[in-house]
Amino acid sequence: MELSTTASQAGRQAPVFAAYRPPAGMYDEMFSAAGGPHRWCAPVAANLLEMGSAEFASLRAQAERMLLRMGVTFNVYGQTEGAERIFPFDPIPRIIDAETWQTLEAGLIQRVRALNAFVADIYGEAHILKDGLIPHDLILESSQYRRGAVGIAPPGGTFITVAGIDLVRGADGRFYVLEDNARTPSGVSYVIENRLVTTRLMPAALRASRVRSVEGYPADLLASLVELAPGGISRPTVALLTPGPFNSAFFEHVFLSQQMGVELVEGRDLVCVDHKLWMKTVYGLRQVHVLYRRIDDDYLDAVVFRPDSMLGVAGLTAAIRAGSVTIANGIGTGVADDKAVFAYTPEMIRYYLGEQPILPIVETHLLREPEVRATVLRDLDRYVIKPTGASGGYGVVIGPRASDAELAQTRKQIEAAPANYIAQPVVSLSVHPTLVDDGAGGVVLAPRHVDLRPFVLMGARPRVLAGGLTRVALREGSLVVNSSQGGGSKDTWVLDAPC
Amino acid sequence: MLRRVANHLYWAARYLERAEWRARLLDVNYHLLVESPPGAGGGWVAMLTITGDREEFNARYETGDEASVLGFYTFDEKNLSSIRSCVGLARENCRALRHRISSELWLEINTLYLDAQRWTPGDFAAMGVYGFFSELRERFYRIAGVIQTTISRDVGYDFLAVGRSLECAENITRLLDVKYHVLLPKLEDVGSPLDLSQWAALLRSASALEAYRRAYGNLIRADKVVEILLFDGSFPRAARFCIDRLGAALARVEAGGMHANGFDRVPAAHALGVRLRAGAAPTVIEAGLHEYLLGVQDDCARIGDQVSAEYLKFE
Repeated sequence: MELSTTASQAGRQAPVFAAYRPPAGMYDEMFSAAGGPHRWCAPVAANLLEMGSAEFASLRAQAERMLLRMGVTFNVYGQTEGAERIFPFDPIPRIIDAETWQTLEAGLIQRVRALNAFVADIYGEAHILKDGLIPHDLILESSQYRRGAVGIAPPGGTFITVAGIDLVRGADGRFYVLEDNARTPSGVSYVIENRLVTTRLMPAALRASRVRSVEGYPADLLASLVELAPGGISRPTVALLTPGPFNSAFFEHVFLSQQMGVELVEGRDLVCVDHKLWMKTVYGLRQVHVLYRRIDDDYLDAVVFRPDSMLGVAGLTAAIRAGSVTIANGIGTGVADDKAVFAYTPEMIRYYLGEQPILPIVETHLLREPEVRATVLRDLDRYVIKPTGASGGYGVVIGPRASDAELAQTRKQIEAAPANYIAQPVVSLSVHPTLVDDGAGGVVLAPRHVDLRPFVLMGARPRVLAGGLTRVALREGSLVVNSSQGGGSKDTWVLDAPC
Repeated sequence: MLRRVANHLYWAARYLERAEWRARLLDVNYHLLVESPPGAGGGWVAMLTITGDREEFNARYETGDEASVLGFYTFDEKNLSSIRSCVGLARENCRALRHRISSELWLEINTLYLDAQRWTPGDFAAMGVYGFFSELRERFYRIAGVIQTTISRDVGYDFLAVGRSLECAENITRLLDVKYHVLLPKLEDVGSPLDLSQWAALLRSASALEAYRRAYGNLIRADKVVEILLFDGSFPRAARFCIDRLGAALARVEAGGMHANGFDRVPAAHALGVRLRAGAAPTVIEAGLHEYLLGVQDDCARIGDQVSAEYLKFE
């Protein structure tokens, strides 16, 4: 379907969509360079073309009301209590065609398999270090390496049960891996709630496009957790460990525990006795076999990690070691999403799986290496600098957007501790038509940068949520999509069959 | 069910019920004093004896006049059982459970809390003491209705019922004690118009006047009032009814546990239930109502201790 044809049919009532122009030099998720919609977007594009500015505004308002009513909120760190916000939602869906998704899915599974093999190896025999593929000190000095995890062998060798892989789409239309999240990735509840909203707001478009369902995720997560229970337990008790109501992802913890029908526990609800994990119920202690934890390693066990932590449960590591409980994700998985280790992930895939990587990664320079460092420091304003151990977009410096003072500060930090930083070229992220205020009380469609975080589950077999969280940078030109830094989200539609 | 969750539900219910009863106690006391001749009985200070707060009050207030006592029970945040404190504590317990209670319940309780933060003594002047407490009472009815219509009947609901029933049983005994303390009945007053109107006010403050008339007719007699407030098996604020309801809730909890019935773990509830079912007003009055009421209060405290130790303690 040609956009121009439909636009003229829609005539004067629908200037909003017709006025949209995909920008040059970037991949547009809905329109091809020729101007028409990609063929897999055609039914939705036609549908949207019939809508005027007022209808778009109402669509967005309805969506926000719905999310607020559902209580889909997140807490912002550093803000006072009651500062709950809804994660801004853009009603125009992001669509991925069936063939593209097929490749992505295979690539994601391959990647998480390799990452799991890597973590198991690092805390086991460490072959990859002995074989010299990755330098010893890069691992042992990583802030995410946990000596306390050495020798732990979880069921199936699975350390990473839940992975969130952040993908971006370059100007060439290809997906690249930007970073891995192998600790406690969040955002999946928004995927499910966003779909609930689009199902109510645009049922016809959804049906016409034959979109794959996402509602099975909690059941898949529970199945994966159950499959990883210590051997011999047929009906394991699963619990979800949250840091509590002040955590920014608390809504998600509530959502997942309710959807899975498992108890939502805090550290003070748990106790370790006889190398077993128990929760304190009104009927006495009840053994927990699988703990889906949403708190960081450092707070997990005051015996092994931070002694001042009140969030975890003392003795948990010993119980894991005794094999009476499995935790997901395992201790020390952060070593797999360390930004410096990231540079070695293509090698890892070849090393552990004997396969060529299906998904390319964004070019990554290790600043610990003197020549690389010299090259990067010469043109610092052309790179994105990331601290190796951080997540959530914290500490990232985008060279072209940074002030001279920021660049000078960054340069000083790199020179002081080069091993703590990596550099990546600025990727020109793909864009997507997004509703924005026109400054005169109405809404218009404008291109905004998006990324994609699919979720991969590793139980006895891999399961991939169809789609994932599309985050959108709502500020014009902004490349930062993190919810903590002003990003919003879109529903992600993976089509069921080739079109 | 986690102990922490049950504990929050139990205390949320207790504090809500306690706040409601504080309002009822103040309300009835106000009426008794308005209607009685000057200088009769113990006045406002008697309230302090009934609730066991005399010492704390004396430490911070100079005179036991109406404004001070009303302020102490309604606004004073240093008084942990003032209405404002109770509402705040109920809200704290609910806040920890926002994901488990209905959003409607949270909204009601949070709104009440926010309003209570803004109360001033001027509200008594503006609305009248009667107006203030009757509006407050409606808020509590609304909360009770929201609990009834939006909370699933699971173990969590049962712990709400345990907390509410226990607090109600304990407070009905305090209400009965008001008559004893505030206006020590003189022999010649018994059966006088004044005596009758006082009993009627007491029944009204427990919302029991209509139930009384249906059960016992228009003539208000002390023994019948004691009967309906302590030993009645169908009036929902009667001590016996409350303890029966508490027993039933514990039995439902135990249906999921290993004990044959709820009383195995809370023997004090069993004992009090037996006592109240066997109780008869004339005998109790003969032997001394005040002492009997104190005995029931002790039993309630024991039930609270046993419920906490058996089901709720988690740290």
